[in-house]
Amino acid sequence: MTFELLIQSMVYGLSIGSTYILMALGLTLMFGMMHIINFAHGAIYMLGAYVIYYVFDQWGAAYFVAFLLSMLLLGAFGFVVERVIYRPIKGGIEPTLVALLALTTFLQAAGYPVFGPLDKDVPSVFEGTRQILGVAISVERLMILPIAGVLVLGLYLFINKTKMGAAMRAIEQDKEAAALQGVNVNVVNALAFAVGFALAAASGALMAPILKLDPMMGEQPLLKAFIIITLGGLGSIPGAILGGLILGFIDSVGATAVGVEQAFLMSFLFIILLLLFKPNGLFGHEA
Amino acid sequence: MKPKTVAMFFILGVVVLLLPHLAGKYYAHLFSLVFVNVILAASLRPSLLCGQLNIGHSAFMSIGAYTSALLAKKLGLPFELSLLCGALIATLVGLSIGYPALRLRGVYFAMVTVAFVEVIRLIAQIWVSLTRGMSGLSAIPKPSILGLVLETKTEQYYLALVLLLLVLLILYKVEHSRLGLIWKSIGMADNLATSLGVNVAGYKLLAFALGCFFAGVAGAFYAHFIRFLFPPEFSFLMATNILVYNFVGGKGSFVGPIVGAVFLSLLSEPFRGSPYETIFFSIAMLLTILLLPGGLITLPGKLASLRQWGSGAALSPTTVPAGAGVAVHE
Amino acid sequence: MSNPEAHREKPMALLEAHHLTKHFGGLAAVNRVDITVEEGEIVGLIGPNGAGKTTCFNLLSGFLPPTAGTITFNGEDITGLRPHQIVARGLVRTFQLTTLFQDMTVLENVLLGLHLTSRRGLGQALWHRHAFPHDEIARSHEVLEFTGLASHAEQLAKNLPHGHQRTLGIAMALAARPRLLMLDEPVTGMNFEESQRIMGLVQTIRDRGTTILLVEHNMRAVMSTCERIVVLSFGQKLAEGTAAEVSTNRDVIAAYLGTGSAHA
Repeated sequence: MTFELLIQSMVYGLSIGSTYILMALGLTLMFGMMHIINFAHGAIYMLGAYVIYYVFDQWGAAYFVAFLLSMLLLGAFGFVVERVIYRPIKGGIEPTLVALLALTTFLQAAGYPVFGPLDKDVPSVFEGTRQILGVAISVERLMILPIAGVLVLGLYLFINKTKMGAAMRAIEQDKEAAALQGVNVNVVNALAFAVGFALAAASGALMAPILKLDPMMGEQPLLKAFIIITLGGLGSIPGAILGGLILGFIDSVGATAVGVEQAFLMSFLFIILLLLFKPNGLFGHEA
Repeated sequence: MKPKTVAMFFILGVVVLLLPHLAGKYYAHLFSLVFVNVILAASLRPSLLCGQLNIGHSAFMSIGAYTSALLAKKLGLPFELSLLCGALIATLVGLSIGYPALRLRGVYFAMVTVAFVEVIRLIAQIWVSLTRGMSGLSAIPKPSILGLVLETKTEQYYLALVLLLLVLLILYKVEHSRLGLIWKSIGMADNLATSLGVNVAGYKLLAFALGCFFAGVAGAFYAHFIRFLFPPEFSFLMATNILVYNFVGGKGSFVGPIVGAVFLSLLSEPFRGSPYETIFFSIAMLLTILLLPGGLITLPGKLASLRQWGSGAALSPTTVPAGAGVAVHE
Repeated sequence: MSNPEAHREKPMALLEAHHLTKHFGGLAAVNRVDITVEEGEIVGLIGPNGAGKTTCFNLLSGFLPPTAGTITFNGEDITGLRPHQIVARGLVRTFQLTTLFQDMTVLENVLLGLHLTSRRGLGQALWHRHAFPHDEIARSHEVLEFTGLASHAEQLAKNLPHGHQRTLGIAMALAARPRLLMLDEPVTGMNFEESQRIMGLVQTIRDRGTTILLVEHNMRAVMSTCERIVVLSFGQKLAEGTAAEVSTNRDVIAAYLGTGSAHA
C-alpha cells in the first residue's frame, strides 16, 4: 500500500469512524439508561440522510439548515417512539426489542414506496481537496471531523454539566434510587431517545453527500455500531468513542489492505472473542 | 377437546393434506416455504424457553443449506444423507459457539449471535471457491427419497409437510417432558434452578443445539427446494424475523411460534413482490406487540372476555375472564 | 460423618473452608478466611455491611470461583466445582433477594423444586411425561405442612407476603435434601413474630438432621439461635465463638460501632 493510500485511508477511517461514533453514542446512551439495544437506529440514520436529500438537494436550503432540521425532526420522532412504543410496553426488554425491530422493518420497507425505488445522490457540500502531508484529501470527508467533534463535545457537556445529564447518569446508576430522588424517569428516558435518534440522524446526514442513499442503507452502520459498543463496553461513552475510532480504522485501512468483506469479518470475529473473554469491553462496567 | 375444536382441526388437516390438489402449484410452493418458517420458529423456542435471546438462527439455516447443497452437488450424496449432514454440521458449529457463549448474560449472548450471523454470511461471501460467493450457488439437485427424485412442487410440498410434522412431534414431546420443564424453570429463574442442582449451562446448550439441528434441517430442505443459495439471504433480518414469529405468535405456548410463523408468512403474501409486503408485515408485528403482549395465542381469550362485556353479562366477583392466567406450565 | 484418619486428633468437620480468598479487581472482598461447620451445628456468619458475608456464601456454594483457598465438604475437596455439582453433594443455599418461580403457585414451586432435584438422568428426562408423580405431590404437601405454608398452597408466589416468600425459599432448598443448608439472611426485614417463626423452623430443620450455616443482620435472631458465630469485617475473620463470647468481644463491638451498630 502506498503512503498516499495509507494517509487517505487513515483520514477517511477517522472521518467514517466519527460518524460511527455518533451512532454508537446514541446506542450506548440508550442501553445504559434503559438496557435496550435500539434496533431502529439504522433506520433513523437512513431517515437522517433522506432529510438532507429532500431539504438540501430538493428544496435547496443551506446544508447547515438541513442538518439541524434532520436532527430536530428525528429527535422529535424519538420522543414519539418513547411515548408510543417504549412506555406502553411494560413487559420488559424482549418485547421492546421486538417492537423496535418491527419499527425498523416498517421504516425501511416504507422507504421504497415513499422515496422511490432508485438510489438517491446528494451533491457534495464542500468542493475540492486539501493537502494533508502532501496527500490530497477530499474536503467533504475532512469536514465531517469538526462537525462530529462538536456534537461529541456537546454530548459530553450535556451529560456532565447539565441537570438533565445528571439525571441521566443517575438513572443509569440506579433507576429506583433516581426515581426516589425525584427524577422523572419517563421524561429523561424520552430525552435519551430523542438525543440518541438525533445523533443517529446526524450521522446519516453527514454521510449523505458521500454515499448513495437507499432505504436499507442503515443496516450496515447499525451492525457496525453494535461492534463499537461491544468493543467499547455497553453503556460506556468513552468506550463508544474509542471503539468508533478503532472500527473506523479497521474499516478503511483494513478494507484497503485486505478487502471490505474481509475487514468486516475480522471485526466481527474479534467482537465474538471479546464478548467471550471480556464482555465488558474496553471501558464497560458491570451493570 | 370440544367437538367444535376437533371439527376445526379435522378440516384443517384435510386442507393441509389436499392443498396442492385443491389450490395448485403456486400454493404448494408457498406453503412449503411457510412450513420452513414454522420449523425455524418452532426450533428457536427451546432457546427462548431457557430465557436466551437468540438472534442467530439464520446462520445455522445457512450452514445446513450450504452443507447439504455442496455435498449433493460436489459429492453426489443422496438427499437424505446430505440433509442429515447439513443438520449435523449446523449442530456441531452451534455447539462450538454455544459452549462458551451460553455463559454470557442475556444481551451479551444476543450480541454474540448477531455477530455470528454476520460472520457466517461473510464467510459464505468471501469463500468464493466453495460457495460461489455473491454469484450464488445454483443448480442444486432436487430432493429425493430412497433414490426417487421428487420432481414436482407437489411432491416437495409433501416432503416439507412430513419434515414439519416430524420436527413438531419431536419438539412437542421434548417440551412436555421433564427436559421441557427444566428449560422452563431455567427461563423463569435460572439462579434458583442452579441452587436446586440444575446444570443450567448444560441444559441451555442442549436447547441451543437442538435448535441448531432443526434450523439445519430447514436450511437443507430450502436449498434443494429453491435450488439457489445467495449469502445475504441468511441475514440478521431473517434471524430477527424468526424471533418475531415467536413473539407475535406468543411465547407462552408451544403453538405460539407455529401461529406466528403462519400468520406473518401468509400476511405478506398478497403483497409479495411489492414493498407493501414488508410494510404490512411490520405493522402487524407492531400492533401485535402493543395490543397483544402475550401474542396471537391470547387473542381467543381476549375476544371471549370482550364478548362477555358486550353481552352485558353480569361479572360477579367469582367470574374469571377466559383469557386470564395464560398457563405458564402446561 | 467421614471417618477420621488415624493421625488426626478430631474428626473432620462437615464443611471446612481454608484461607478462602476472593479478589475483585484490586479489592480483596474475602481475605484468607477460615470457616468450619461441624455436623449438626447452627453456625452464624455476621459482620457489618460489606464484610464479605454474601461473597463467602457465593464462594462456598460455587456461585463464585475463589481466587485462593480450599473448600472441603464431607471430606471431599469441592473447590472450583460448579454450583449444581455442589448441590448434588448436599450443600444447598438460599438467596437474599427473593428468588422464586413468581408466576407459579406455592405448591407448584415446591413441586418444581422437588422435581428438579430428583436427580434423574437425561434419558428419563426426555421420555417421561412431566405430570408430577404421586410421591412428589405427597412429599410437596408434607414440605408445605412442615414449613407452615399449607394454607397458602394455591396462592401465586408473587402474591405471598414477604415473610412467607422467604419461607418458601427455604422450603424449596429443603427439597434438595441438603446435608448442610446455607441460609442467606433468612429473617432480615421481618417483624419479631415472623422472625421467631422462621428461626423456630430453622431449629426444627436442624433437629431433623440438617446442619445450618446462616448469614444474618438480625442480632437477636443470631444470638438466640446460633451455637457458634463467626464474625467477618472487611473480608477477614475478626472473631469466632459462642454468642456470649462474640457479643463481649472488644474487636467485634468496635467493628459494629465503627460502622453504625446493627439493630438488635
